[in-house]
Amino acid sequence: MILDNLTVRNTQDEQQLIDKTLQREINIARNIQTKLLNGKTPTFEGGEVSGNTLPARLIGGDYYDFYPLVNGKIRIVIGDVMGKGIPAAMLMILTRGAFRSAAESTQGPGETLTAMNQAIYEDLRTLRSFVTLFCADWDPQTGIFSYANAGHHLPLFIRGKSHEINELPKVKGIMVGGLPNQEYEEESVKLDSLDTIFFYTDGIIEAMNQEGEQYQLKRLIQTLIRHIEKDVGELEKCVMDSIIEFTEGLPQKDDITMVLLKINDQQADITSFNSPRL
Amino acid sequence: MSLKVKKEIQGLTTIFTLQGVLDISTSGVIDDYLENIGTVKTLVIDFSKLEFIDSTGIGSIMNAIYLSQEKQFRLELQGVDELTNEVFETVGLYQILNTLQLEGV
Repeated sequence: MILDNLTVRNTQDEQQLIDKTLQREINIARNIQTKLLNGKTPTFEGGEVSGNTLPARLIGGDYYDFYPLVNGKIRIVIGDVMGKGIPAAMLMILTRGAFRSAAESTQGPGETLTAMNQAIYEDLRTLRSFVTLFCADWDPQTGIFSYANAGHHLPLFIRGKSHEINELPKVKGIMVGGLPNQEYEEESVKLDSLDTIFFYTDGIIEAMNQEGEQYQLKRLIQTLIRHIEKDVGELEKCVMDSIIEFTEGLPQKDDITMVLLKINDQQADITSFNSPRL
Repeated sequence: MSLKVKKEIQGLTTIFTLQGVLDISTSGVIDDYLENIGTVKTLVIDFSKLEFIDSTGIGSIMNAIYLSQEKQFRLELQGVDELTNEVFETVGLYQILNTLQLEGV
């Protein structure tokens, strides 16, 4: 086939136009995701929550959300959709819809995960994908933190007074999208003044430096202990700074997400009871 | 970062030995091998030379599990190191494998 100069130029122009349109759509998608993820964070007496996510690409598949319940509790979820970029972001939105819908109609975190699995199992199975999720209810009145797990890393539980740091006690549960009709067990712990729960996705502990070494849980624990006196926003920043320092500017390979719940000395009291508005 | 898959056929048993990294940039390699697996009674995936697996890599192993159910063959995961084993335990991969193998094979 012989192409003259004009045909070549037209083809290049068309390709540039397609690239430009695609870039604009990706930017809009990023904007939508950022706005949905970074909605209003609920405030309550006696403690604070915060969440932050940094996608490895323009958009990502990590997810976190807060949902104040009418009984005064706050439901928290963190999740990681298989894969990265646009495909993972699309499934993250699916997951968000399932959580928001399930959170309103279910009694506890275990039931929420069961309902979410029921709602999106078929879609995930068809798409050969899955999502790991950890869901918890925090009750500021009683100090009880109850939780259920669907294949996600267990959050870290930092005792505020002793600075003792451990994973939350194990609770069984497989990824959402793995098998139908799953029941998710619940566990609970009592949180005292100054205790912190640190939820995270694997992008943190698997962040890699120039030598191919991973950040690992041990560095995360060291960072948290070093800065545990700080408020949730500062603590979040310290963890992020520590990862950036460790990776020495190497491009991020996976989405990084963290959620913090920190109890202070006062009696907790959620100020916003009107779900789903935060 | 790359992934090499060494394929060995011993009668009706096929062995895939994974070497390198199984992540979003390399998962297509094993997916291609799985697509062209042909007729087998048992598929062994050997992880002993695998350096790293991410969620997309786990997705590829899930593909192998679903394929084993569809094509009615037995899937065995061998040489899984402690770290990967912990990840598989956490996400529930063994439970899914056992449940679907009981249903499908």
